[in-house]
Amino acid sequence: MGVLITPSMIGQVVISGLLAGSLYAMVALGLGLIFGVMRVLNVAHGPLLMMGAYTTFGLFQWIGLNPYLSLLVSMPLLFLVGVALQRFLVRRVVDAPELSSLLLTFGVSIALVNLAQLAFTSDLRSVEYLTGSFVVGPFAISKPRLATCGFAIAITVGAFVFLRSTRLGKAIRAVSQSREVAQVCGIDVQRIHLITFGLGSALAAAGGSLVAVMVAIQPEMGQVYTFKSFLVIVLGGAGNYPGALLGGLLLGLVEQMASLFLTSQVNEAVAYVLLVVVLLVRPTGLLKGRV
Amino acid sequence: MAPILEIRSVVKRFGGVAAVNGVSLALEPGRIYGLIGPNGSGKTTLFNCITGVDQADEGEILFKGRRIDGLKPHQIFHFGMGRTFQVIRVFPELTAVENLLVVTTTGYAEAQRRAQELLALVKLDRLAGEFAGNLSYGQQKLVEFIRVLMTDPEMILLDEPAAGVNRTLLNELLDAVRRLRDQGKTVLLVEHDMKVVMGLCETVFVLDHGEKLAEGAPGVIQADERVIEAYFGR
Amino acid sequence: MKRRFPVALAVLAAGLALYPLQATGYGIRVMLQLFMWIALAQSWNLISGLTGYVSFGHVVFFGTGAYASSILIVTLGWAWPLACLGGGVVAAGLAFVIGWPCLRLKGPYFAIATLGLNEVLRVVVSYYEGLTGGGNGLSLPTLYASVEIYYAMGLVAAAVTAVTYVIVTSRFGLRLMTIREDEVAAEAMGIDTLRYKLYAFLLSAAAPGIVGGLSARDQGYIEPLSVFPLIMTITMIVMALFGGKGTIWGPVLGAAVLFAFQEVVWARFIYLHQLLFGAIIVGVVLLMPRGILGVLQQKYNLPRTI
Repeated sequence: MGVLITPSMIGQVVISGLLAGSLYAMVALGLGLIFGVMRVLNVAHGPLLMMGAYTTFGLFQWIGLNPYLSLLVSMPLLFLVGVALQRFLVRRVVDAPELSSLLLTFGVSIALVNLAQLAFTSDLRSVEYLTGSFVVGPFAISKPRLATCGFAIAITVGAFVFLRSTRLGKAIRAVSQSREVAQVCGIDVQRIHLITFGLGSALAAAGGSLVAVMVAIQPEMGQVYTFKSFLVIVLGGAGNYPGALLGGLLLGLVEQMASLFLTSQVNEAVAYVLLVVVLLVRPTGLLKGRV
Repeated sequence: MAPILEIRSVVKRFGGVAAVNGVSLALEPGRIYGLIGPNGSGKTTLFNCITGVDQADEGEILFKGRRIDGLKPHQIFHFGMGRTFQVIRVFPELTAVENLLVVTTTGYAEAQRRAQELLALVKLDRLAGEFAGNLSYGQQKLVEFIRVLMTDPEMILLDEPAAGVNRTLLNELLDAVRRLRDQGKTVLLVEHDMKVVMGLCETVFVLDHGEKLAEGAPGVIQADERVIEAYFGR
Repeated sequence: MKRRFPVALAVLAAGLALYPLQATGYGIRVMLQLFMWIALAQSWNLISGLTGYVSFGHVVFFGTGAYASSILIVTLGWAWPLACLGGGVVAAGLAFVIGWPCLRLKGPYFAIATLGLNEVLRVVVSYYEGLTGGGNGLSLPTLYASVEIYYAMGLVAAAVTAVTYVIVTSRFGLRLMTIREDEVAAEAMGIDTLRYKLYAFLLSAAAPGIVGGLSARDQGYIEPLSVFPLIMTITMIVMALFGGKGTIWGPVLGAAVLFAFQEVVWARFIYLHQLLFGAIIVGVVLLMPRGILGVLQQKYNLPRTI
């Protein structure tokens, strides 16, 4: 402490916070969709992100594919993985007590992480594609963060347009509000579940592909995103998809602000404390959600 | 006689909609009351507010003269008010007798005795050791009903007791309710089956769109034009 | 059958008590660890198996007990048996601090809250470097007490199993189970679910705290990574699930079987081992949600209090 906080530091924090927050929002939306539609908390969300990152890494390594183009591969690929997970595993526990789906996805997450360990070892990998920052006035804007933010926003907007305007998107929202009513309206709920899990996984993968350029890639990299995505869902309200956006941005801001005052070690605990506080004070989320 | 349950201008909102919009009721002890209304009239919400499952946004609820709005369900239970649920909520992995035992706070022996007594009353004593989840719908309904009676509550709220129940069982239940009333207990039931309500209840409250529409003896309510309108439209 | 079981148990207990006289140092160490796992799986069962509130961060109590008791030994010079009990008390205290706010949440939200717990505690340990040695770890004065610790671990494992037996066969246990079956109904039936969840959570933290201390004493050295590993939570969960959560002997069975498995596979194929654990969890949830004991219970119509 004892640091003088200048306006430009605050500005920097806000910018960094929004950049980071847009990624959190996109990834959390994936988790939120699965939870909203199926009431399943997908503990394997982080490992799915990790798989997206490795996909990007692999493509970059072997055929020199532009990491941002690899989104076109990682998203569909993990979409299919998500559909498979739902079809063969998760579907059996959707109606069981919530404890079952929690344990199941927990088991899946362990399996995925260790599969990655076996395939790639725990050596740190990286994708050296974009480095450095733009300097705009007193602010430094990291290039990869900016690109990530841009793509995250684009993908998230795309997801919202999909949810709002397409028949499939509306069907998803219908099931998320009431499964019985949706069924009565002729919606094939099983199919919606498959697609939603796939979509959620694709969004996680997108997050992975984007962070692959910025952070070290290793099998356990996704765990922290699982937790933070949960936190965003709680902040924004379960089942409240626009809320996930706000939650993500808020998390990004809070983290960056905390880094002004706290050492980087303690920073990790910030997200956790925030979660407990929100859960106690407003469990339905900052906007209206369904607990 | 002082009312045993008083509901004063209770309001409960969900999102922007007021499911219960300023309802006031007063219940005298030792009578059977009915709460009816078309779907979406706020009956279940009001029920939930009374029993503490939901918290009212405005207004007061007094039981035996003390405020119970804001209390947790288990506290209200120990005050002397028990309830059953619309969708049966027995504990499936516990046996029938265990379902009853969990409720009590008295000594184990005394609890066992009372549980056996109640099971015998509804002729389920030979199924005491059966897992509740394996019982038939009607049997589960009975278990849930006697479970509420384990601690001898002064007031009992029944949420759609007639739902999915055959005639014979229904008559047994209704007789049991009348016997409870004769013992001095107060019963409030939410029910869709008009015959049950008209045949059993001494006073009926009618809700519509979250507000109290009418109140009175069954015969009066049945003839009330506003009630007919609410149910069948204009 | 009913008569023979307590006799068989007594014989087993006698055998285990006499074991150290015959066994090698290695053999004692192995059994000591088995006892530890039994205590851990059984403890996880107390909260997650009985109340249905899954704890994904239970290793926190192990680590906390390890650090608490080690600090008591190093800075206050306590004798290790007392220090380990102290570790258990501190762990239970931590359970209260976490449980008081977090157990108010519905099941899945509680599980999420426990997920991040590990990270927080590792941060706390690093922060209070002066006391805990931070990333450099903490060394305990040298002591050759494997045999004593063997008996201590065995006692804890037996105690936790006994406590589970008492709970499962009592009304207290029934009330815990109603929380798992239908929490709304339980509340409506007069059960103060928060209080009961807290009791279960505190009880479930005590034994891990004690065995954490014992394990630390046995190893002679601890550091954050060694006492807060995720694999420990995973192993506890797999053992309890596999054997049968919500039962008395399920976690014991699961611990015994999977510990043997672990001894064979672990050293050589660590990632394969963990992968298999993940697969086992998935398999158990889908195919035998009540574990091995659950399958046996159904097949041979055994009572629930097994």
